[in-house]
Amino acid sequence: MGELEQLRLQVATLERHLVETTAHAEIVEREAALQMSRAVDLGARLSAILSISAALLISRDIDAIVQLVVREAVNLFPGTSAAHLFMTDSEQDGLVLRAANNPAVILTRPSVGLAGKAILSPRAMLLVGPQLDAALSDMSADQIAALRDNLDTWPPLSALLAPLRVESQRFGALILYGGVHAHLYHPRDLPFVQALANLAAVAIDELSQRTRAANLQRDLTLTQSLHAEAQARLNAAQAQLLQSAKLAAVGELSASVAHEINNPLYAARNSLYLVEQDLDPDAPQRAFLTIAQQELGRIARIITRMRDFYRPARAELAATNINLLLRETLELVQTHLRHGHINASADLSVEIPSIIAHADQLRQVFLNIILNACDSMPNGGDLRVKTRLLHARNEAPITIGIDICDTGFGIPPEHRPHLFEPFYTTKAHGTGLGLAISAHIVTQHGGRIMVESELNQGTTFSVLLPTSNI
Amino acid sequence: MPPRQIQICDDDPAAALITQRGLQNLLRDRYTITVASTPNAAWLVCAHSNVDLLIVDPGTGGSQASALVRVMHAFRPMTPILILTAYDTPGLRVRMRDLGVSYYAAKPIDFKDLLPMVTSALHLTPIPDTLPTRLHACHHR
Repeated sequence: MGELEQLRLQVATLERHLVETTAHAEIVEREAALQMSRAVDLGARLSAILSISAALLISRDIDAIVQLVVREAVNLFPGTSAAHLFMTDSEQDGLVLRAANNPAVILTRPSVGLAGKAILSPRAMLLVGPQLDAALSDMSADQIAALRDNLDTWPPLSALLAPLRVESQRFGALILYGGVHAHLYHPRDLPFVQALANLAAVAIDELSQRTRAANLQRDLTLTQSLHAEAQARLNAAQAQLLQSAKLAAVGELSASVAHEINNPLYAARNSLYLVEQDLDPDAPQRAFLTIAQQELGRIARIITRMRDFYRPARAELAATNINLLLRETLELVQTHLRHGHINASADLSVEIPSIIAHADQLRQVFLNIILNACDSMPNGGDLRVKTRLLHARNEAPITIGIDICDTGFGIPPEHRPHLFEPFYTTKAHGTGLGLAISAHIVTQHGGRIMVESELNQGTTFSVLLPTSNI
Repeated sequence: MPPRQIQICDDDPAAALITQRGLQNLLRDRYTITVASTPNAAWLVCAHSNVDLLIVDPGTGGSQASALVRVMHAFRPMTPILILTAYDTPGLRVRMRDLGVSYYAAKPIDFKDLLPMVTSALHLTPIPDTLPTRLHACHHR
């Protein structure tokens, strides 16, 4: 009996243990099922994140990126009523809603509203209850109205916020709204929303860097081509200057010969005329006299042609805006000035009327003086171009004054009297014709060219041009 | 009535002589034609007598000639001035026009072209009788 009783007690204990163990097994089983479902859930989220990152990798457009992120955010957190992606906008000085699953634009300032809080936060946040109410109450009535239009239920009871940032640079914020379910989101969701935001930020940053690099490359190419073009124009102008200098030297020689011949030719030609007056109409010498007169007439025509070769042709004279001409010339030497570390400034008077002039020749005068100024400032300096209208005396014509000043080493006094003489140069490779030609061109326009120079202070060339026509 | 006077200012003696002879040939004894080699000498003559026409060759520089033209306009405003230059340039033409010179000719001008300018400056009507009949002979060059 005693033994039977003892066995019964043992059975009862074992039965109790069995019940307890069974209950425990059920708990463990439930826990295992929960863990399993979480693991499946995590696996699904990870694979979603991986597929998002793969999709972002091939996105070449910011709008496509933000739409993808917002769409996938809603899929990643089932039950989410809306997802918003805000981006900073320097033009509007705030955050602009770039994508919503229900698109509309909401502007907000940093620190205001959910987006404002998210962008200033170092990491993702989960807001529920009073914290969420406080963040929403920061917003203006208009902003709340716009936000309310974007959500199916109002107010949202929970929200996931994540900043879009790469290192210290902030691009915007991702907001997920939980709708009516206060416990939709869990703190373990935070790494996922942050990972999504990080992926979006990296993709946007990479895209904007790529765009910036492309823009820089385009600017660089443009600058290089402009530089090459400017250099080519300057080279052409310098070659033209040299060519004209050579031509003009020949021309100057022929013109001076022509002028010297005019007096004796005048005397010889008209002496024959006087002889002819006293000659009998039938005199046999008349035939030779006529030949002599014809030949002298021929010489006169040759002389006129020589002189006209040197003089600007009438057809090339046209109304010329001196200020415009100076601006064009400065434009032409812009690269040259930049390379020489020369600061150019222009003070051009608006009073200046257009004059009838040979624009190409005057451009050569200005170019020549400016290039000389550059040569005198090998270590850089200031180049000042100034125009003014001069009213000297009542009877004198109104004159345009053009001053070109440099801060170079100046012209030694012993060189100054010879500056405008042909073939006079102090440069190793100079032709000695630039200023001679310039002076000649200015004189041909009825004007004058003057120079003032101070050693180690600088030089000012002044060109005076009458406004009355040639 | 004393003969009227034309003053020539030219530093080239041969050219000056030819201008003088050519004009004398045209105007006969109605005009005394004198020559000065410098603008200063020409001004002295103009200042001390009634000159009816001043013919000036400004030479290479032209600044003294410009001064002569200015002083003539100031003190002898009624005397016409004819510029007869061997150094014709647009610049000189502008300068002389700005100084109020009405008659401008460039050497080597032919007498048959110069003489009408002189008669116009002297306000003479060119009467065919007064011109040498053989003048026309040189027209068919």
